[in-house]
Amino acid sequence: MFSRNHRSRVTVARGSALEMEFKRGRFRLSLFSDLPEDTELQRKLDHEIRMREGACKLLAACSQREQALEATKSLLVCNSRILSYMGELQRRKEAQVLGKTSRRPSDSGPPAERSPCRGRVCISDLRIPLMWKDTEYFKNKGDLHRWAVFLLLQLGEHIQDTEMILVDRTLTDISFQSNVLFAEAGPDFELRLELYGACVEEEGALTGGPKRLATKLSSSLGRSSGRRVRASLDSAGGSGSSPILLPTPAVGGPRYHLLAHTTLTLAAVQDGFRTHDLTLASHEENPAWLPLYGSVCCRLAAQPLCLTQPTASGTLRVQQAGEMQNWAQVHGVLKGTNLFCYRQPEDADTGEEPLLTIAVNKETRVRAGELDQALGRPFTLSISNQYGDDEVTHTLQTESREALQSWMEALWQLFFDMSQWKQCCDEIMKIETPAPRKPPQALAKQGSLYHEMAIEPLDDIAAVTDILTQREGARLETPPPWLAMFTNQPALPNPCSPASVAPAPAPAWTHPLPWGRPRTFSLDAVPPDHSPRARSVAPLPPQRSPRTRGLCSKGQPRTWLQSPV
Amino acid sequence: MSYIPGQPVTAVVQRVEIHKLRQGENLILGFSIGGGIDQDPSQNPFSEDKTDKVNGWDMTMVTHDQARKRLTKRSEEVVRLLVTRQSLQKAVQQSMLS
Repeated sequence: MFSRNHRSRVTVARGSALEMEFKRGRFRLSLFSDLPEDTELQRKLDHEIRMREGACKLLAACSQREQALEATKSLLVCNSRILSYMGELQRRKEAQVLGKTSRRPSDSGPPAERSPCRGRVCISDLRIPLMWKDTEYFKNKGDLHRWAVFLLLQLGEHIQDTEMILVDRTLTDISFQSNVLFAEAGPDFELRLELYGACVEEEGALTGGPKRLATKLSSSLGRSSGRRVRASLDSAGGSGSSPILLPTPAVGGPRYHLLAHTTLTLAAVQDGFRTHDLTLASHEENPAWLPLYGSVCCRLAAQPLCLTQPTASGTLRVQQAGEMQNWAQVHGVLKGTNLFCYRQPEDADTGEEPLLTIAVNKETRVRAGELDQALGRPFTLSISNQYGDDEVTHTLQTESREALQSWMEALWQLFFDMSQWKQCCDEIMKIETPAPRKPPQALAKQGSLYHEMAIEPLDDIAAVTDILTQREGARLETPPPWLAMFTNQPALPNPCSPASVAPAPAPAWTHPLPWGRPRTFSLDAVPPDHSPRARSVAPLPPQRSPRTRGLCSKGQPRTWLQSPV
Repeated sequence: MSYIPGQPVTAVVQRVEIHKLRQGENLILGFSIGGGIDQDPSQNPFSEDKTDKVNGWDMTMVTHDQARKRLTKRSEEVVRLLVTRQSLQKAVQQSMLS
């Protein structure tokens, strides 16, 4: 059984009733496939709308400057995503109405246009150099102005943001730690990168600002915003010139300004760091202006799906090298720039070594073979590679004419993808899955449990219960006596007066314990000696117990022995 | 409210089972113990685990040497400890709160 894995085609089982209906031209495939991408987009749109409501509430409630900056940033990103998704939905509906998404079944002939496979594009290690005046940087004079900056990245209808970074003149570059991944890019992608900055003023300037800003933004879009909505809906495929972000209404509170932008395409992709020019968008009069050097360094990598996922698989007979009559039956898998021939279909999944691997790259030549008809073997194809002066040809026999056609089609598609994705197909570029970003650190110390639950040693039950007991402090019952064993002030029986033992002062544990990792005292001072007989004395100065010991001082133990076991 | 050594006490404990490691000819546990009824507790730099029982032997009233001997018996390959620590109490409270 032959199978093709290609997203933009639908392979219909041969001889099925459905296929007969297609041949009669009765149905268009678009009516059958309830495009899952549309419901996905709608779901994302709803999610962003909810996030926007949350961000408005947070902005209205926050009182600290950094919180307001984060909340404003979230709000603006949500707004721009909403616009972008709405625009995309509109475009798709229009395209459907105009019948552009009608699809023909794959076996009615070669498609009119071949479309290249999708790929994953990842941008990371972003760094923007700054250019301070000598006097500012080295002498560090004057008030320390601070800016809050972040990057907004858009590819197609997807918008992602980096973390927000506070910048002042002690920094030479703005370095972002984020890895941003776009999963569905085509080789003709345009990755638009925008740097936004806000001037961070003194605390007082923000009073009253955030609340009014929040109310304004949470109600309907203002008139100028409405015009922008319509403008972006009209423009086809993501406007290149206008900035992604909506301008915020002039209400006070933090305002982000576009500082610089650039657009990166396939030509900029490289498995390494490159520097690109930035178009500066603001000038010195702008309150948020930062002295940018004018470039951005980053690593832009792309992984086309044809390299990482199998594009065809099926049963083949391959002629063993040099042996004319000995044909082995194999399970062939076309993946990336190789055709792997496994002994059995299961081997591809279990990681077994294939019997034979045939390279299929830009230099390879493939022909549907008529030459071997003389051998009585129909439906063959040959794959030739040049290794230095030698040309090595492998001849493969497929199961049927249709299987031969499908294999040839898969190979032609692969060659097309390689011509489109160019340098990305030379070698697979490594892309790390971005780690989930930590929540912004600068949160106000409010009374909510959420803010206190930033637990560093994860799964440390002591830490969790500590926090909870501190919060539930009023409900604690009297501590059980055995816990007193863990303080440094046990009441030792005074041998001289056994009857009256002064109770030790209340153990210190009722105060919230300064929690943290259990302190590991280095035992370096204790010579490591694993013989069972060794003894060692802890090198601590003997501490006098704070409470009075009574009259009899002899008989009190003076040592603290430690032994390895 | 305070703990008086020598007096009976009820505590929350945890069972720990440790298999000894072989090092050369010896079987070792791989950690060190400190203290004992004959030692000065105010010099204890740690406040973590306290051992109540080792393989059934009571450890609450032993000297340092006796404790060491009970843990390093050649014939025993497995040591079963009953250990108490502060965080156990919090864990109990936490489970009672929820």
